[in-house]
Amino acid sequence: MLPADCSRRLVAELQGALDACAQRQLQLEQSLRVCRRLLQAWEPTGTWALKPPPGPETNEEDPLPACTPSPQDLKELEFLTQALEKAVRVRRGITKAGERDKAPSLKSRSIVTSPGTTASAPPQSRGQAGQAGGHASDTRPTKGLRQTAVPAKGHAERRLLSVGDRTRVGMGARAPRPGAGLRDQQMAPSAAPQAPEAFTLKEKGHLLRLPAAFRKAASQNSSLWAQLGSTQTSDSMDATAAKTQFLQNMQTASGVPQPRLSAAEVEAEAGRLRKACSLLRLRMREELSAAPMDWMQEYRCLLTLEGLQAMVGQCLHRLQELRAAVVVQPPRPCPVEGPPRASPSCRGGAEPAWSPQLLVYSSTQELQTLAALQLRVAMLDQQIHLEKVLMAELLPLVSTAQPQGPPWLALCRAAHSLLCEGGARVLTILRDEPAV
Amino acid sequence: MGRRRQRVDPAAGARAGALPEAIAALSRSLPSGPSPEIFRRAKFDRPEATSALWQLLFRVLSPLPVGNALASLALEAQAHLVKSALCSQGYPRLALAQLPEDGSQGSRELLLALSWLLARGPVPEQMLAQARVPLGDEMTVCQCEALASPGPPAPHMEAEGPVDVRRVQWLMGKLQFRWRQLVSSQQEQCALLSKIHLYTRGCHSDQSLGHLSVTEAEMLRDPEGGQQASGAGVAQNLDPAYPKCLHSSCTPGMGPRTFWNDLWLVCEQPGLLPGDAAPLDPGGASACSLLSPLRALLQTLERENQRLEAVLAWRHTELVFWRWMDTVLGTCAPEVPAAASQPTFLPWVPERGGGELELVVRELQALEEELREAVERRRAAWEAKAGGCGRGPEWSAARRASREAVEKELGALQQCWKQDSGPARPHGPHRLVRREDGAAGERDLRAAEVIRTLRSQEACLEAVLRRLQGQCRQELARLVGALPGLIWIPPPGR
Repeated sequence: MLPADCSRRLVAELQGALDACAQRQLQLEQSLRVCRRLLQAWEPTGTWALKPPPGPETNEEDPLPACTPSPQDLKELEFLTQALEKAVRVRRGITKAGERDKAPSLKSRSIVTSPGTTASAPPQSRGQAGQAGGHASDTRPTKGLRQTAVPAKGHAERRLLSVGDRTRVGMGARAPRPGAGLRDQQMAPSAAPQAPEAFTLKEKGHLLRLPAAFRKAASQNSSLWAQLGSTQTSDSMDATAAKTQFLQNMQTASGVPQPRLSAAEVEAEAGRLRKACSLLRLRMREELSAAPMDWMQEYRCLLTLEGLQAMVGQCLHRLQELRAAVVVQPPRPCPVEGPPRASPSCRGGAEPAWSPQLLVYSSTQELQTLAALQLRVAMLDQQIHLEKVLMAELLPLVSTAQPQGPPWLALCRAAHSLLCEGGARVLTILRDEPAV
Repeated sequence: MGRRRQRVDPAAGARAGALPEAIAALSRSLPSGPSPEIFRRAKFDRPEATSALWQLLFRVLSPLPVGNALASLALEAQAHLVKSALCSQGYPRLALAQLPEDGSQGSRELLLALSWLLARGPVPEQMLAQARVPLGDEMTVCQCEALASPGPPAPHMEAEGPVDVRRVQWLMGKLQFRWRQLVSSQQEQCALLSKIHLYTRGCHSDQSLGHLSVTEAEMLRDPEGGQQASGAGVAQNLDPAYPKCLHSSCTPGMGPRTFWNDLWLVCEQPGLLPGDAAPLDPGGASACSLLSPLRALLQTLERENQRLEAVLAWRHTELVFWRWMDTVLGTCAPEVPAAASQPTFLPWVPERGGGELELVVRELQALEEELREAVERRRAAWEAKAGGCGRGPEWSAARRASREAVEKELGALQQCWKQDSGPARPHGPHRLVRREDGAAGERDLRAAEVIRTLRSQEACLEAVLRRLQGQCRQELARLVGALPGLIWIPPPGR
């Protein structure tokens, strides 16, 4: 058994890593759900903006849902949805035997069986109708079904559509034009893709169109960000000078002419030197492992190693300076992380780019490789951290354990497995009894 | 001072008209920025301006975006954290640390602190970038966010007694398994994402993007948010589970900033957005209970645009502000450096391992030792070999050339850590865009390059890990090797 404090630290560390993983997994799963749903057939809500490919654009404005419906309309909607639920049940009975397409039917089944989601929203019932008919290309059976079904229901549907749209469009300025637009589409010849029907992203994805208001806001947004980026670079010299002057005045007014090293700066410097250490070590490895071909190369190798040695000396010297400064003038007894949004390893750089930058990829394979590598780097980071923690905890235990009996052997075995094999493999210990 | 003048060149001097403009722009550009009146009161050290300034400083200094939990902290707690954060950044004035935390006085001091922060960095832009609504599928290339985001340690850390080392082994194995799971989920998500991008190509209004992101597609699919409604009809609260479901909708890099998370914040906390106290629609019921995702998105975008405009205005007029701040500073008495020690502040976020300096010193000393041995060996070998060589002119010329080359190389190496950040090391989230030809502008990243960088990083880290494991192996061998009567059989396969 490990001592209590050691156990606590180890378990806390590992548990933290596990929790971080679990959180990421959760996020991934949620986004997976979204993506999967997007790739299945879309329930027609009647408020999409599809590009009607040929034919006149009846209205440029999209049926943008405005504000909230009034309570009275909502009540009406409720009644209607109840009526439609019934219609759906009846229709399902009728169309169950009818032709079903793979994707839409999946969708309908999932809708039906999903808990708590009643088939109550008006669009869904129409979706059922659409689905029973299949894709847009297959509209004749749809129409036929609608006609064979109780006409009253179909009428109710259409009425609902108009009401629903009007409601959604809301009170105020908006005329029922968008609703009319949709109705037009609905009566349009079957060749044109019909908005009310279900479709998959695969077929109609390229026809989608973002709402006009959104487009405007988004383009304004990106142009403003771009402007921000350009003013950053051409920042007025006067303002910068005024700022520096102000900072200096603040410093002198506080009575301390030189800004004291803040904890953040000490940490940053230490981080830089740590990076230096690893780079130097890497270079040393390279030099030592290279086999010199001739004397010239050997000489260069020697010079490089000596140069590296000198640099290490400089770094150590700088560290001693820092240490001394820290001792003489404690850098504020609150070693907290530095300025917000700056991490030790990756400062903002000279100019943070404000406008959004793109990451361009060209194939699924590439994206997957990219993501996999990112995860791998993160995982390795974590593993190295854990390794250091384990080393700090386990090695002292192994070395100081006094009675070297079986428990200690078990500890050694576990320590070896954790520290040297990443917990993946375990070695075997054989007791070699001296022959009696 | 409220009179509007013609827009004159603000650099011409501190004119009475330009200052209110500048302050107004500043307050519009900051989240829940205080009114210009507060600024003026603060100059005269009026007490009523104090609490607003504490809260503003808290928001500016908070390392994480201010969520519900943080926003509801008491003023005293916020003030305390502000002091701690300023302290660690090296704020020079001592008067701040001595201010009472109940918000009863000290507004001028707080104004100075705010200006100090504003002078040091582009604060409004940073806050805006942090609160930004990501419209695209974002992927974070560098690891900053991953490092910065761990919150306070999970509370479910039961005070355990001593555990068996096998439990540690088990936890380790569990961790490995979770990582594997993560990788496979990630791969699937990338495939789906790629498909969505492929299928929607050609329909984005912005030509440079070319296709929809998951966020945009989702908004199109379900602009009302009605499909997630549990219960009849549209009339109900935007089911809080809905945005949470899309919590981190499409970030393969799994950054903490997410579109739907922000939306949820918008819907649940209208007060968090700048200048938003009024309910979102005049006739509606409770403020945002009936907000559709599309509507919410539009509103956030519009608000962001307003703030962007305010920031641009601020940048144009800020010179006046700085002149004014100099006068404010002038009204304060100069401080005397306190001989007494400062009160200690607890760190804001639990630090990860203090004693950085010591660790680095140890590592460097170990490296120094290795180098010393290697150099001695090589030098001795070289002297032995080259001792017999002639000292001709071409020989010394060659040596000089070598020396210079080595110096240049090592100088370049030194630059790698001397400068704070790598050259053009891109930072922050990037929007994923699929293009068949892979063409990219000069500010954009290409996936192939990023892959290269990541591969080299991976190799580096693997080398480090192997080295550590080798060290452990040696150490353990040393510790146990002395015991007789035991045979250690290493595990097979490597």
